[in-house]
Amino acid sequence: MESPERVERSGEAMKDSPQMSEKRPKTSRRVPLSRRQVLVGAGVAAGGLGVARLLGLHDLSQLGLPGQSPTTPAASGAPGTGVDWVAPLSKPEAQIAHLLRRATFGYSRAEYEQSVKDGFNMTVDRLVESKPAEPDAFPGGDDASRTKPLNIGALQTWWITWMQKTPTPFAERMTFFWHGHFTSDFRKVSPQTPYIYWQNLTWRRMALADLRSMLYQVTIDPGMLRYLDLGQSTGKSPNENYSRELMELFTMGVGHYTEDDVRAGAKALSGWREPVTQAMYDDLVARAQQQGRQVPKNLKVDDVKSGVFEPARSYNGTVAYLGVTKRWDTQAVLDRILEQDAVAPFIVTKVLREFVMDSPADAYVTRLADGFRKSRYDVKTLMRAVFTSPEFVSPPAYRALVKSPTELMVSTAKAVENPQLARTIVQSAPGMGQTLFDPPEVGGWPSNASWISSADVLSRLNFTVNALATMPKLPAFTNAHATFLDGVIGPKTAELLNQTGDEASRWLIVLASPEFQLK
Amino acid sequence: MDEKGIARYTRRDFMKAGFVFGVGAPALAAGYAAVPDVFARAVFDAKQAGVVNDRVLVMIQLGGGNDGLQTVIPLSNTRFRDLRPTLGAVADKALPITSDLGLNANLAGIKKLYDAGKVAIVQGVGYPQPSFSHFDSIRVWETADPTRRQQDGWLGKTIATNYDSAGHPLVGCACGTTSVPGALHDLQATLTVIQDQTTFKFQGGDNVEQVMGALYTGTPGIYGALFDTAMTTVRDTVAQLRTSAAQYTPKAAYSDKQQLVYSSKNQLAAALSLAAELIVTGSGVKILHVTLGGFDTHYTELNRHDDLMAYLDSAVSAFYADLAAYGMSDRVLVATWSEFGRRPNENASAGTDHGTAAPVFLIGDPVKGGLYGQAPDVNKLDTLGNLGYAVDFRAVYQEILGSHLGVSGRDILGQTFDRIPFVRDPAKSASTNGALVNAAGAPLPGRNSA
Repeated sequence: MESPERVERSGEAMKDSPQMSEKRPKTSRRVPLSRRQVLVGAGVAAGGLGVARLLGLHDLSQLGLPGQSPTTPAASGAPGTGVDWVAPLSKPEAQIAHLLRRATFGYSRAEYEQSVKDGFNMTVDRLVESKPAEPDAFPGGDDASRTKPLNIGALQTWWITWMQKTPTPFAERMTFFWHGHFTSDFRKVSPQTPYIYWQNLTWRRMALADLRSMLYQVTIDPGMLRYLDLGQSTGKSPNENYSRELMELFTMGVGHYTEDDVRAGAKALSGWREPVTQAMYDDLVARAQQQGRQVPKNLKVDDVKSGVFEPARSYNGTVAYLGVTKRWDTQAVLDRILEQDAVAPFIVTKVLREFVMDSPADAYVTRLADGFRKSRYDVKTLMRAVFTSPEFVSPPAYRALVKSPTELMVSTAKAVENPQLARTIVQSAPGMGQTLFDPPEVGGWPSNASWISSADVLSRLNFTVNALATMPKLPAFTNAHATFLDGVIGPKTAELLNQTGDEASRWLIVLASPEFQLK
Repeated sequence: MDEKGIARYTRRDFMKAGFVFGVGAPALAAGYAAVPDVFARAVFDAKQAGVVNDRVLVMIQLGGGNDGLQTVIPLSNTRFRDLRPTLGAVADKALPITSDLGLNANLAGIKKLYDAGKVAIVQGVGYPQPSFSHFDSIRVWETADPTRRQQDGWLGKTIATNYDSAGHPLVGCACGTTSVPGALHDLQATLTVIQDQTTFKFQGGDNVEQVMGALYTGTPGIYGALFDTAMTTVRDTVAQLRTSAAQYTPKAAYSDKQQLVYSSKNQLAAALSLAAELIVTGSGVKILHVTLGGFDTHYTELNRHDDLMAYLDSAVSAFYADLAAYGMSDRVLVATWSEFGRRPNENASAGTDHGTAAPVFLIGDPVKGGLYGQAPDVNKLDTLGNLGYAVDFRAVYQEILGSHLGVSGRDILGQTFDRIPFVRDPAKSASTNGALVNAAGAPLPGRNSA
């Protein structure tokens, strides 16, 4: 980078308030960030473009505008400022930062520097090939019962803490992805069972497996058995809830099956029930004794953390399901679904909308879907293909996604290197519409433009202010705008950074900026 | 915050000190100072004069698919009891409104309003070739388009077509949520979302607010305009709430303490209390949207649905009483909607699966109470075992738009339907009822004149 020209500022403009000076150790060398420095940084990042092209002059019509899909209508044809960010993605450091923003929950300066040293390919290898590290057990998790319910706030804090410190951040990011895709909420699943906790462990264990194995675990997951009622479904009187969402939300999307398939699937999948833990058993026995009732004869402790199949509850006959008439079991149903052409593009589209861009081109989806199918739905293979695709580092992918609240908050905590923010994060989440284990609907979390309501934006900024305000000392600013925003910043962000030499204020500008809301 | 080791520099100190900006900051932010409320209202009134009446619409979404047959119940139909061996017990306690129909026993407050002629129930509301997918059917209702081609919500489109929301973000507002409901979505309309009025302000005070306002100005990129608009909306709304909070105290008991089989994530009573505040303080609200979730009752529905009915009843009753005490109930129409009803035949889990037609409730002084549409016939189910529909849901929208809000239903719906006359005194068309708005909410000559 060429030597930046400094704009000298008047002493008055630079002066800290007396309160701040007293409480906060002054940085020994205050380096005013000049507009030119910012502009030059961006210019170089963009591959030698001149200062005047800071924001570039991309015609918005050339970009994939989001919102053509019914689930994110909030941005269709959005009027913009007419300028887009100049993508710095031809630069190795910017590629690394882009990868870390998408494939993990953000990074500290040290993590960023290590990855830059390793290079893009080695970083992809490290992220994708690492077996998911498991967090320490959640205290009391396995023993949850009516008398000792899970503390959901503590469980959320447990997960947020692990998102920050896991040595396998990509696996954790995928765990979070599956939590939104194969979703369940603690309200219906109930904290009086360990199920929602177990589901988190299972999704992590399966996060990088193949879709076939994962779908089986999802189907017989105790939390899922309760959330979508498959645990209640019997061959005699099937419950359609899981059968429908398995096809509509988990694998294919509407339009690829009929109502008859929903009904047939409900029969074919029936026969599962939720497992009973020792703690749940003890509780049931104690209650029965208290109330002077007999303990049900068939009540016993199941030594498994998955559904229990009872042939007597299942459907015995043949049904026509997705064009084949025969006698089915659960694995056969899932295999029949995986034979459908619609599955790979459905999953790939969802992945691309979360990791690359909101409206991926059909050819891109088709190409990755073909590879995904050929790999027998291997998730690791798919994700490697995503991160190494040319589209991933193409200009339309740059800042093309909005961080979900969890990503925003955890990446903030990582940037300021504060592992103690987990509770603040948990407390701030509901105001932004993303409470872990409590998705708004069976379709999981909203995405991208849907995170930009007035209430969301206010809550995001308030979190950032609160997070910084609780920290006695922030890390040195040292060009945080370069490390965390690729040096590609809008004129207002630059102007405000230039107006203060106070490190906390500068951190606030960077972390509250529109740039940092994007990934 | 009680993290260890944070003693030296407290949050309060930090807040007191504020973030430190140079002399440029105030000047830079000056252009974004909140518009004074009185001024905003004057501008708003001027814009509205001659365009609209003073009526307000509150839509309550019953998320998950409300079971119509457990809400408006056939009292003496043996087929109903056959189809619902467990759930049919709801008929035993129902509150009769005709010899053959009763309201869920937990709708006592709404029943009282019904007896007073303030509740219209449109029965058998649905649409052709119904979808059984939550998302698909929600989208149909939100966009008022069974062909699934429209992107914009019918309420958003109503705002964009009829009201100048740019200077006044509270014209359309979703209360008690954090995201814009699809029904309100329209890129040409400014919309506010308020989850909780007590926390709808900037941490760190005016200094931070001004800096944030400046930071979200002229933002580049495909999301830039959305971010900037959200910020402007936040600041206008903060200014509005600052003035209105002082003027409003609820005059009815709103309670979210209602015991539910499992807790609802929507605080309906709090959301309606906020709606009442926005209405009685003359904030310029026109269209409000609130949601009560939990209606996807696939199992053990009886208690679960009864609880939801009680919760709905208590929140709506308090809302009506509050508005009435403020003398504002004559201009507010409450309407319920849900993506579908449920299958008449109960399943093995003593619940019901996704179905079709269901009743819509219209509540308030503007309503001409009674039964409309046609009760669905449980003796005549279609091949999937579902009820037929008698009234297209867009006919209900049309009456709300044309007769209550006084705007063109055809502009929004693209076609016309047979009128379902549940609005007592239809508003005159927009072009003729001019200059009825008064920001103070005083009754004006000509209001509600037929």
